[in-house]
Amino acid sequence: MYGGGYIFEESKNTESGTEDSVKLKNFEDRIAAGEKIEPADWMPAEYRKQLIRMIEQHAHSEIIGALPEGTWITRAPGFRRKLALMAKVQDEVGHAQLLYSAAETLGKPREDMINDLITGKSKYSNVFNYPAVTWADTAVIAWLIDAGAIINQVANSKGSYGPYCRALERICVEESFHLKYGHDNVVFLATGTPKQREMVQEALNRWWPPIMHFFGPSDKISVHTETLMRWKVKMASNDDMRQKFLDMYVPKIWELKLTIPDPKLKKNEETGKWDYTEPDWDEFKRVINGDGPCNKERLAVRRRAEEKGEWVRKALMRPDERYTVPLS
Amino acid sequence: MSIKSIDPRITREELPEVPDNSPLKEIHHWQTYEVFHQAKTGDHHVHVGSLHAPNSEMALILAKEQYARRYNCVNLWVVKTTDIFRTSNDEEEIFQTTPEKIYREAGGYKVMDRINKFKGK
Amino acid sequence: MNYSDAQISAIKDLIFRMADDQLILGHRNSEWTGLGPILEEDIAFSSMAQDKLGHAQALYQILHRMGEADPDSLAFGRKEDKMRCCHFVEYPIGEYSFSLMRHFLFDESESLRFDMLGNSSFEDLSNTARKFRGELKYHTMHAETWIKQLSNGNDESRIRMQNALNICYPLALGLFEPCESDEMLIESGVFPGEKALQEKWSGKINMILSKTDLKIPDVNDIKIGYGGRKGIHTEYLKPLLDEMTEVYNIDPHAEW
Repeated sequence: MYGGGYIFEESKNTESGTEDSVKLKNFEDRIAAGEKIEPADWMPAEYRKQLIRMIEQHAHSEIIGALPEGTWITRAPGFRRKLALMAKVQDEVGHAQLLYSAAETLGKPREDMINDLITGKSKYSNVFNYPAVTWADTAVIAWLIDAGAIINQVANSKGSYGPYCRALERICVEESFHLKYGHDNVVFLATGTPKQREMVQEALNRWWPPIMHFFGPSDKISVHTETLMRWKVKMASNDDMRQKFLDMYVPKIWELKLTIPDPKLKKNEETGKWDYTEPDWDEFKRVINGDGPCNKERLAVRRRAEEKGEWVRKALMRPDERYTVPLS
Repeated sequence: MSIKSIDPRITREELPEVPDNSPLKEIHHWQTYEVFHQAKTGDHHVHVGSLHAPNSEMALILAKEQYARRYNCVNLWVVKTTDIFRTSNDEEEIFQTTPEKIYREAGGYKVMDRINKFKGK
Repeated sequence: MNYSDAQISAIKDLIFRMADDQLILGHRNSEWTGLGPILEEDIAFSSMAQDKLGHAQALYQILHRMGEADPDSLAFGRKEDKMRCCHFVEYPIGEYSFSLMRHFLFDESESLRFDMLGNSSFEDLSNTARKFRGELKYHTMHAETWIKQLSNGNDESRIRMQNALNICYPLALGLFEPCESDEMLIESGVFPGEKALQEKWSGKINMILSKTDLKIPDVNDIKIGYGGRKGIHTEYLKPLLDEMTEVYNIDPHAEW
């Protein structure tokens, strides 16, 4: 699961003044015609750079995303929930594996990406810097964060880079199980005992602001991404995805008689769009830059996992074998 | 002091509270393998992705769960990425053969006219 | 086949032992999910932990059909003195070498156990046992590959695996703790007994380890992990159960 809160870097030569203009035109024509770009094809340096950045962030989000829900893996109540949560967290790890592979085809080895993650050099979706305080938080995450992720990933799966699209196709299939599982879980809590309802309402209160942050800063304040949209790297605007999410899920939340903690939230009949309290983008920036409730812990955990596994990876290395990036 | 997490597994790890931003001491890149998957007998094997493994035996063991845990599969192949020889994108033109090769198309053989003419004689 | 009351209670005792082992080890191994030594192995190990919990659930289901409570109540509703798991599965996950070695020694025994139970006179058990053959075949294949490779890896991995074997082996013998019900199970053709299973298991483990540089520790001077089958457990089981049932116990009658 992953949010569309892409952190694209503003780049001086997005128009690729230094690129071969014939090759560039051919490249852009192919994308406009709906063709996919494959790893060995010519591509502008800026395309490669932004794609690595985006797919890497996505992969990091999956492996770090395994942690908030993993928080309750040893405490899930009953076989059905225990098995489903294990399978879901496992899927997130699987998604990370698929996405790192896709990013690797662009020339950056997986271990280098992981190193950049744990040194804080590259980012992941902000939402995973918040804690899953109770069991109900895992239900809300599995339902609503994965719902947001699907909106984002379905859009991205129509992008231009072949390996990323192929990985996303499989990921989206698995996410639909996550979404159903999450919804089922929330429904059981919301229609359960008063204590269970209270748990899920509190979880929703906690997760609503991060969910609103999930699709990234509003278009008014985002970095301009026209070239990236033309290149089908970025496939939808942050605000459009947020609106789509609200359209699809606010009614489903309300039907369970849960309260969304935003008094301004309502559908504007004139514009056909949702009005809502503007999310706190300063907090978004603060958390992304390391000052969220769980940033420190998330990176420390990932570092520990890498360190604990180091002897295993080292023991099976053969001096005559060389790493190469995967093919497609 | 170590990090006290909501996740009991993490608390048990006794992670240092002071963040460590240093790079990993050693980085070991295992090789990559390409994975081919046969959904049912009689089907072709289809490329489904890649993975990291130290050798072929391990690659198969690991491919089984990452690429066959959720889907029908009766057989898996793993091939070292470096062992795959492929055409380069500069050579794409070699596939652009001229379209006039009707001598090897079924549609290139229409003899009914000739037969009818022969029968009419 | 008709069983006497005493035979029925012997069968239940056997199934409780097996199910509790699977539950506790599946739970332990799930702790690695998201934290494994490499992504691909993280995924594989998690699948096998899920399989173990699935096996536990199916075994509790048999007990339920025999008149016991439902699987959730059996797994999440019993105190430690009612649990029949062996000490081996209770230990914390430790380093990956320990978890892998436990997985190897345990799953080899499980695979042989289910093979034997495939011919059990107790049909519900033989049907269930046969259903898991494919999964267990992968588990042992996975375990044997890792054990062979890491024990023939480098010096560090060989030493780590040997240390893990030294700790695990005597504990693993606790899997075959002699039980009062054994004789009755043998007589009634339900299960050939722990002793017979242990012999097969020793042969298999010896055969596999003989292809590595690992040495099976001398068991004469070490304590075997017995007691679990009688409800006497290590200090690790109670905290594990407290953790596992934390949410469930918020309201055991609620539907989660």
